[in-house]
Amino acid sequence: MSEMILQVNHLSKSFGKHEVLKDIDFTVNKGDVISVIGASGSGKSTLLRCINLLETPTSGEILYHGTNVADRKVKAHEYRSHVGMVFQSFNLFNNMTVLQNCMIGQVKVLRRSKAEAKEKALYFLEKVGMLPYINAKPRQISGGQKQRVAIARALAMDPEVLLFDEPTSALDPEMVGEVLTVMQNLAQEGMTMLVVTHEMAFARDVSNRVVFMANGVICEQGSPEDVFGNPQRQETKDFLTRFRNA
Amino acid sequence: MDKLIQLFQDIGKLWEKYGDSYITGMRNTLILAVTATVIGCLIGFLCGILNTIPYSKNDPWLKRALLTLIRGIVRVYVEVFRGTPMVLQAVFIFYGLPYFTDNAVQFKGNEGIWLASMIVVSINTGAYMAESVRGGIISVDPGQTEGAKAIGMTHVQTMLHVILPQALRNILPQIGNNFIINLKDTSVMFIIGFTEFFATHKSVAGATFKYFPSAALEMVGYLAMTLIASFLLRWVEKKLDGSSSYDLANVDPLTMTAGTYNHPQKGGPFDDRDRKEDNK
Repeated sequence: MSEMILQVNHLSKSFGKHEVLKDIDFTVNKGDVISVIGASGSGKSTLLRCINLLETPTSGEILYHGTNVADRKVKAHEYRSHVGMVFQSFNLFNNMTVLQNCMIGQVKVLRRSKAEAKEKALYFLEKVGMLPYINAKPRQISGGQKQRVAIARALAMDPEVLLFDEPTSALDPEMVGEVLTVMQNLAQEGMTMLVVTHEMAFARDVSNRVVFMANGVICEQGSPEDVFGNPQRQETKDFLTRFRNA
Repeated sequence: MDKLIQLFQDIGKLWEKYGDSYITGMRNTLILAVTATVIGCLIGFLCGILNTIPYSKNDPWLKRALLTLIRGIVRVYVEVFRGTPMVLQAVFIFYGLPYFTDNAVQFKGNEGIWLASMIVVSINTGAYMAESVRGGIISVDPGQTEGAKAIGMTHVQTMLHVILPQALRNILPQIGNNFIINLKDTSVMFIIGFTEFFATHKSVAGATFKYFPSAALEMVGYLAMTLIASFLLRWVEKKLDGSSSYDLANVDPLTMTAGTYNHPQKGGPFDDRDRKEDNK
């Protein structure tokens, strides 16, 4: 069995009286590409945001190499520098160019030299095909391009695991492909990824594990063949049927 | 028409005799307005930043208590100085401090008047700017903060590199507003004897009884100052926005395209050594 990076134990999250996540358990091993699917409002994004501590879990623990990072004593910003995150709305820094976006974290958080940071940023920007646009500001490029820069920005931090929060949901249909291709290449290179997505084809073809969430619990999980080909739970069947018909 | 010609003649005479006084007044007004706006902005930024430090229920009680206290103090400061006339604040501080300290602290001579004026206009501007800065920080998309947090930045780093540069851009029109208001409103400092532009009018008109020509001259003077100020501010805004186009970076010395890789020992793909090996 490969090395375990993240282990989520009995994770719960409530906003006021509304319980969004109920007693979630799951693990992320090195090299895993996990797709989290489910209807809107089933808690997928909240789960991801809890894992990156953008939301504080109400109870339960998140073990990162055995250390509980949900504990208040752990410095959240140090942990976050090991866990990359790509957002639905890109969240590129509007006051910086594409290149600066990919350098700032390396320089300020990882204390790399400017030259080293630039080299690394250019390497990953080339990888996502955004090299010609290094001087552009975020408002000057398209949504798909922004998301590819956001991926490069996250990669430049050398994260151990990359979280994707519906990375293609805010994109025009013709831009979805370019982002998915980049993600597929990353998966093939062995990047550990946790992807919340509505792209069923991606979940089926690229990931090695699919997690189906409904009403704040993990309803079913397993290999893509099992979940898509032979779903056990009625909720899963209903969800997949709705998707096929849509 | 005759009246207009007479007006110009009167203004000419006034300028001939008192031109230096008007220029000194204008200079003092400008120095006071610029300095007080800069200091006021610094105060405003400090208050705005202190006011937007986030805290949650899970933080230690000491941190929460401290932040609540700071917010309370800033709130009182803003409400008091925004809610009273500046002319009164000037009198209050200029005469109040010596009164309460039995003349141990007082604003002596010309320097004293300058100091008192600077203090009053600065803290007044600061009170307005505190709210503007808070608004500027709030108006930056929360996603920016999340993006910064997600790559491991601390709160201070996020503020310094991501939020404040954008907030500054957002509130630049407000800063301009305050500067122009200061240019005009420093005129109330004549109450504590500060010789700015409007004080010159008072003394000149008092000596010559040419109230209207002097006032006309002042109107033109103030308008000239504010117009130049707003022109400069527009220019700064444009500079901050950067160019609306960008160059595609086709050639970058740090990157390599396929086939141009050079191995430290074996050299590149088109080296002679490689070809020899191929021929073997």
